[in-house]
Amino acid sequence: MATQIVMDHTGDTRHHFDAKDLKALAQAERRFKVLTGDGFTAATRQATGDVSLVRSFDPNAEETVFYPRLVGG
Amino acid sequence: MTVWLTVAASSVGRAVRHVFRALRTAQSRRRAWFENRAIRGMFLLRQWLSPQQRQQLECFNYFEVVGCDSGKSYRIQQGVCQNVFELDGDGRPRMGWCFVPQGNLVPGDVMLAQKIALETDEWGALAIAKQFLVPPLPPFALAAA
Repeated sequence: MATQIVMDHTGDTRHHFDAKDLKALAQAERRFKVLTGDGFTAATRQATGDVSLVRSFDPNAEETVFYPRLVGG
Repeated sequence: MTVWLTVAASSVGRAVRHVFRALRTAQSRRRAWFENRAIRGMFLLRQWLSPQQRQQLECFNYFEVVGCDSGKSYRIQQGVCQNVFELDGDGRPRMGWCFVPQGNLVPGDVMLAQKIALETDEWGALAIAKQFLVPPLPPFALAAA
């Protein structure tokens, strides 16, 4: 099961989907595009703990986190 | 008349007690909701930290990251604003940077966003961040350091 984690006022909202299910995959890709279009940044984590930004939907990513646009505090 | 007043006062008293009880329940539910979302945020953060960063967070309530562009070290303290410090060669804070994700996010989420930003797009994060001065350490602290 792959997971998309979206940070929000509730802490986070998790969307689980089966990467082998084409319909679920398409929905996850749509969600990715909507969120990044709204200014969210997507990042994935490697097994080593290294974090990398994701510019386009990666169907193989196990866990993707989305955080809202950064602003100066 | 007296009986009628007594009955009316008793009803009002019951109603007031009922309202207070409902308010207390709502308040405790709200508190539980806030605590729950904060716990979820810290849980997510811990999952995404490296083992070393996780250990630092447990011991000191902060963790350090290395900027991907400059190689400088930053300390991210627990909090939601003015909690990122650029460190000097001795590991002491020399400059504060304030940048946060938009929206009403919990500390764990804010700290994770700051970590990811510094580790993957340091210049981009600092370009939007606001600097703030770090108060100098008192002389006795400098001597101890």
